[in-house]
Formats: sequence, C-alpha cells, structure tokens
Amino acid sequence: MKSVVTRLAPVLACLGLLVAWQLGSLALGNDSFPTAWESLRAIPAILTDKESLLNIADSLRRMAIGLVLAVAVSIPLGLLMGRSRAVAAFFNPLLMVIYPVPKAALMPIIMLWLGVGDLSKTLVIFLGVSLPVIYHSFEGAKAVEEKMLWSGAAMGMSAAERLVRIVLPAALPEILTGCRTGLVLALITMVTSEMIARQSGAGNILFNALDMGQYDTVFAMIIIVGAMGICFDAAFEVARARLVRWSEPQFDIPLSFS
Amino acid sequence: MTMRGTIDLLLGLLPIVLVLLLWQALISFGYAPPSLLPPPGQVFARMGELLLDSSFQQDIAATLFRLFAGFAIAVVLGVAIGIAAAVSPPVNAAVRPLVRVLAPLPKVALYPAFLLLLGFGHESKITLVTADALFPILLSTYYGASIVEQKLIWSALAAGTPPRDVLWKVVLPAAMPSILTGCRIGLVISCIVVFLAEMITSTDGLGHALVTAARTFQAVDMFVPLITISALGLILNGLLGALRSYLLRGFPEV
Repeated sequence: MKSVVTRLAPVLACLGLLVAWQLGSLALGNDSFPTAWESLRAIPAILTDKESLLNIADSLRRMAIGLVLAVAVSIPLGLLMGRSRAVAAFFNPLLMVIYPVPKAALMPIIMLWLGVGDLSKTLVIFLGVSLPVIYHSFEGAKAVEEKMLWSGAAMGMSAAERLVRIVLPAALPEILTGCRTGLVLALITMVTSEMIARQSGAGNILFNALDMGQYDTVFAMIIIVGAMGICFDAAFEVARARLVRWSEPQFDIPLSFS
Repeated sequence: MTMRGTIDLLLGLLPIVLVLLLWQALISFGYAPPSLLPPPGQVFARMGELLLDSSFQQDIAATLFRLFAGFAIAVVLGVAIGIAAAVSPPVNAAVRPLVRVLAPLPKVALYPAFLLLLGFGHESKITLVTADALFPILLSTYYGASIVEQKLIWSALAAGTPPRDVLWKVVLPAAMPSILTGCRIGLVISCIVVFLAEMITSTDGLGHALVTAARTFQAVDMFVPLITISALGLILNGLLGALRSYLLRGFPEV
C-alpha cells in the first residue's frame, strides 16, 4: 500500500498543480491566463497538426544529436581529468571561465558564422550539455579507490585498460548523475535557442503563439515541453537504476543543476 | 605558492592563451573576416570604452538588480522549504513529489506564462531567475539538513538547548556547507537565466544589449555583453567563495 502511494505521489503532485492552476486562473479571471482545462484541450490540436509535429520532431532530433555528441566527448575528457593532475590543471581554468557564459546566448554569434540552421542549434546544445557531464565524470574518476588501480596494475593491465575497466565502471553512478543533469539542460538549451533564433522547433511555436495572442496554445506548449522534461527525467531514472543496480541510490531527485 | 601550484597555474593559463592566440590567428591569416569575428584586442578595447559609458552601466545595473532580487528570493525560499522538508515528515511528503515534478521541468518554457501574468518589466524576469535558482538551493539544503547527525541534536538537547532553538543552533550551521554549495550553483544559474530572459524580451539589461548588437550586425558589441556577464559570474562566484570560507572557518574541511 505504502509503495503504491509513493509511486503515485508524482502523479498526484501533477494533478495538484493542475488543480491549483485551474483555481488560480478562475480566481484571476484574466483573458491572457486560460484555465488548465482550456490549455489541456488545446494539446490534441497541436499534436495532430503535421506542421507542429514536424517542428517538435526537428527539435528532438537536434537535442538527441547534441546530447549524444556531448556525452561521447565529455566522459573520456572528464575521466582523464580525474585521473591525471596535469590534464586537470590544463583544462580546469578554461572550463571555469566558460562555466558562467550563458550557452544559448552564444546563439546570435554562432548564427553569424554557421547560419540559422541545425548546425548552430546543435552546437549550442552540445556546449550546454558538456560542462556538467565533464564535471561529474571528473569528480567520479577522482574518487576511485587507489587500491583498485594498484591491483589492476599489479595484474598487468595497461593504463588505458585500467581507465576503461576500473575507472569507468567505478565512476559510472557519478557520470550518470551528470548525464541526468545534461539531459534536462539539453531540453532547456533546445527551447531557449529556438526562442532566440525563431525558425523552427518547439520554442518557435511557443513564442509565435505568444505573439499572435493564442494564449491557450502558449500554455498547451508549456505543458508539452514540461511533460517532455518530466518524462525524459523519469525514463532516465529507470535506465540508471538498471545500469548501476549495485550502487546505492543516494538521492531520488536530481541534486545539481549546474 | 608551492612549485607544484605554480606549474598548475601556468598549465591552466596555457589553454586560455591558446584560445586567444587561435582567435587572433583566425583573423590575421584571413580565415575569418573581422566583421564576423572581431580581433580580441578590438573587443577588449571596446569593452573598456563601454564600461565607462553611462547607458551600458545602466544595463549592468538593471541586470544585477534582477539577478540579486531573484537569487535572494530563491535563497530564502530554498533554505526555508529545504529545512522544513528535512525536519517535518508531513512537509516532506508534500514537497518531495512536487520537487520531483518541478525540478526537471524546463523553467524557460514557463517564461511566456510569467510574461502574460506579470508583464514585461522586472517582475517576470525576477520570477524566472527565482524559479531556476530555487531547486539547486532547496535540494542541497534538504540534503545537508537531512544528514545532520542525530547525536548532535541529542547532545544539544541534553545540554539544555530549548527544542525550538535546535533548528538555529544545530541544524542550520551543520547544513551550512551543503547550503552554500547549492547557493553557488544557484548563483551561476541566476547569471545565465537573467541574461537569457533579457535576450528574449527586454528593453534594457546586458542581454538586451547583445540582441540590439545582433540586429545591427555589430559583431564587436555582441562580444562585450557576453564577456561582461561571464566576468560578473566569475566575480560573484569568487565573492561567494570568500563568504564561504569566512562562514565555514570552524569546519574541518572546506
């Protein structure tokens, strides 16, 4: 019984938020703030429209490519930084300088060079995702027990083998925490970059509807994008639990959003 | 400074210098026209010029005001809710699922809703900054407060601390390192978000300065707000680091 309640708690929270929204908008009676019900009713119209479906698919494709590339580059880099002082000293200050730069704000500059197409948006997503993944892989690799590495070396493993067969699995829980942050950040960067470079995608639908005063579409898109974030996060959590079943789940809500 | 530290510092400066050299080389060897990629010297000279310009100073002031207002609200709310959720099971039962749903939600997508509800002025931007900075602070406060050793609380009670003071005298100080880590993440996020919000719709602020420059294809002026916001982020991060080492001076490892 208890576990059913815990499992359903997030669903209940969603329902609670929708009810609060409904009551809030009824109380305000503001034209530009439709009720939750009106916004939910506008969702099927968006999801059956071919144009907007294509737009959303475009967004998701860019997000997936950017995310996969970023993860593929960042994990090896993070692991190397965690295991070698020199590599860490080399990259750390550069990453520290890049850290507070709003990645989506590079959009106008990158657009000047690469145009408004897929390339610049994917690049921005790549930049946005890399840093947390590098950071968490770095922390994970740094915390690997020295003794395990010594044992590996004593058993005749080369440095590269030790990195893949000892450091990578040992750092995996931490790396996956970074990937989880990266996943949410990829979605955020995707929406933001499309809000800034209005050409196609989910962010574009959102702001075009805002400009045209179609408020129920605005709020319906907010629900769709929000639901994407929640579903991706939940799906990743399930995958993570399978991959690192041996590790204690330290926290069931994402801790860092750096 | 030790020998090792000096070497590390030099190694760290190397890639930054290399990036600047590459930047200059791209222009010097004609791979990038200066209208698309202005030389670094020109960008920094223009930055010095703009920093003395009063309208640019007003942009910085507007951005900083929104950043601090949003961040301050997020700190107060995040620490209060985080501690409440850690010490009271009923609050925990309500907050946990809500956070589980709201934390992975892309907050930028809520920005249009804030615009419609709160208008195009300061309020909508401050709300967005708060919404984004809140969760890292809340989560790390909760985490820090829920791992406070029970023995510490019992000792305080045994030593005669009234139960309502335990929160101020034991739980809050013990959770401080974790809270400050959350604040640090929240602060950087605030910098990023305030800039983006100003880029999307605004009439002033650093983000607006970038958009204006982009519309008129002034490549030099596009780099200056970006470098300014990053520098602000680094400075604020440094200040928070100093505050951290002051607040945590009694702790074993910082």
